Amino acid sequence: MAHSRFRPYLINSLLLVLALLASVAIGAVYIAPATVLRIFLGHLPGVNMAGDWPATAVTIIMQVRLPHTVLVALTGAALAGSGAAYQGLFRNPLADPYLIGVASGAGLGAVLAMSRSWPTNWLALYAVPVAAFLGAVVTIIIVYTLARTGPTLQTTTLILAGVAFSSFATALTSFLMLRSNAELRRALGWLLGGSILSGWTPVLAMLPYVTVGLLLLLTMGHTLNVLQFGDDQAQQMGLNVERSKRLLIIAASLTTAAAVAFSGIIGFVGLIVPHLVRLLWGPDYRHLTPLSIIGGGTLLLLADILARVVLAPQVLPVGVVTALAGAPFFLWILYRAKAKVMW
Amino acid sequence: MKKNSIGLWLILMLATVFGLSGCGGQTAVSPTAEPTAIPAAVEPTAVSPSLTFTDGLGNTIELAGPAQRIISLAPSNTEVLFYVGAGAQVVGRDSVSDYPEAALAVADIGGGFGELAMETIIALEPDLVLAADITPPEQIKALTDVGLTVYALPNPLTLDDMFNNLRTVAQLTGHQAETERLVADLAARVTAVTDKIATASATPLVFYELDSTDANAPWTAGAGTFVDTLITMGGGQNVGAMMDSAWAQISIEELLVQDPDVILLGDYTWGGVTPEDVAAREAWQGLTAVQNNTIYTFDDNTVSRPGPRLVDGLEAMAKALHPELFE
Repeated sequence: MAHSRFRPYLINSLLLVLALLASVAIGAVYIAPATVLRIFLGHLPGVNMAGDWPATAVTIIMQVRLPHTVLVALTGAALAGSGAAYQGLFRNPLADPYLIGVASGAGLGAVLAMSRSWPTNWLALYAVPVAAFLGAVVTIIIVYTLARTGPTLQTTTLILAGVAFSSFATALTSFLMLRSNAELRRALGWLLGGSILSGWTPVLAMLPYVTVGLLLLLTMGHTLNVLQFGDDQAQQMGLNVERSKRLLIIAASLTTAAAVAFSGIIGFVGLIVPHLVRLLWGPDYRHLTPLSIIGGGTLLLLADILARVVLAPQVLPVGVVTALAGAPFFLWILYRAKAKVMW
Repeated sequence: MKKNSIGLWLILMLATVFGLSGCGGQTAVSPTAEPTAIPAAVEPTAVSPSLTFTDGLGNTIELAGPAQRIISLAPSNTEVLFYVGAGAQVVGRDSVSDYPEAALAVADIGGGFGELAMETIIALEPDLVLAADITPPEQIKALTDVGLTVYALPNPLTLDDMFNNLRTVAQLTGHQAETERLVADLAARVTAVTDKIATASATPLVFYELDSTDANAPWTAGAGTFVDTLITMGGGQNVGAMMDSAWAQISIEELLVQDPDVILLGDYTWGGVTPEDVAAREAWQGLTAVQNNTIYTFDDNTVSRPGPRLVDGLEAMAKALHPELFE
């Protein structure tokens, strides 16, 4: 038993490492894998590597490819981890960050920032991610307040409030985009899931939120398992249902918001990965959440490699790739799962 | 351009899937109504051999000498660079840059709706990256972060602004002498047109079509765009001037009320829309321009890219609106 518990982690971690290596190795500019490795080792403390490579190769690896790879992996992990939490929280395998309006709220915040020519100060450069983050947080507060009846939170009202607010936010976003001129291109690019930020700064800005959010979600595997029995039974089993739900929503939404803010809107990762993990390794959230986090990083890295390679030197927004590749894949899984039940 | 146009539509279709319908068919490059950039004050210092400039964003740019390896981030910039004679110094250009033809031979560094290929840009080892008003500030930051020199060319709002941009780029690339002659030529062509237009007896009402995917609400160019400016300079009156944003959809009802004398099809460049297509549109048949058959195709790139071809656009505009003066 212990052996079979361990295996999914081994497989997933191995795939993640391979995806990380591939992401650093593959790019618009060819740099020999050995050179990549030596540049990489040369940057470790205490290691002194003699360099016979051009300075541009170092810049490309250390300041472009590596931070991009880390950002993508973090984004995928954050989206899939929070996706797993949402699915457990709503007891709905189709639930994802979009359903409660977090993503749309973030989109509205970002487009709002893009449509204003804000003054040049520290905020100006990160106005877009910061506004996206605020948009997501404000959305959670509004949706949560709307959905709560008295002291209790009904999952169905939460989803309804989320969907309604999401439509509103999307409509407002469309309106802002129609009114914008040159900003349209930028907003569209961002909404399609392509970040124009690069370098280490966005990675460092995003890291604390994602780390705290994911760590919190990792500790809540048992809670999510108990929630699957339904609110009443979970209560009877000794769980403080309202408090747990609130904590889950905050943790998952902050994680999503951080990912969306820095990487744009990327669909399907939060939906597909937990679903896939559940089909392959079962519904126990103590393993579903960590396996989803690892798997999310892997999947988004692969989608991102595809996005960079398919139309090179053009870079396709990664959200387009996840949606185009993810949706049919998801339908296929659904079809197979259905077939299993029917026959 | 055709291939690029298909890509544009694919992306716009995908955007519709995301619930962002009605984004229209703007070309990738557009002059904005908002003067977001301060006109450049270009003052090369006489003391040191290095050149110091202040760009459109107010940033100080220093060059060891005229730039020799330049990357252009916008089609208008590419056109300006080649026009002033710096074409041979251009080592990279964005995907949309397709003019002059020689630009197509230069390395493609992405752009369009996707991201810039940072790796390719760095590998090309440019000594100057020429950004434009359409370049997002985050992108400029990302480029300066990796140690590149970025000059943001300000967005011109008038032909004189555009002439100043030509001079700026000439100084950045070391082509001042020939550029002064070129600017004088352009200015003379502009004067020749405006002198003729001054004698015109009427100012026809013009509808400039950017996109007619929805023939009941076609997209047009509003006040503050070069389309609007050049229509006015060419002796016409822009229907779109009443719109309060640079790019806007006008309802067919409003268009019927305005009843333009001339229709210019900028979307011929992007979707191959012809005067016959317009005449076949149901609600459009009563329009004066349709009745008189005064619908013309128009090279949108000459009015949407703020570069030297704006003067070509002005000449074409004046000829279309006042053929009697150019016989």
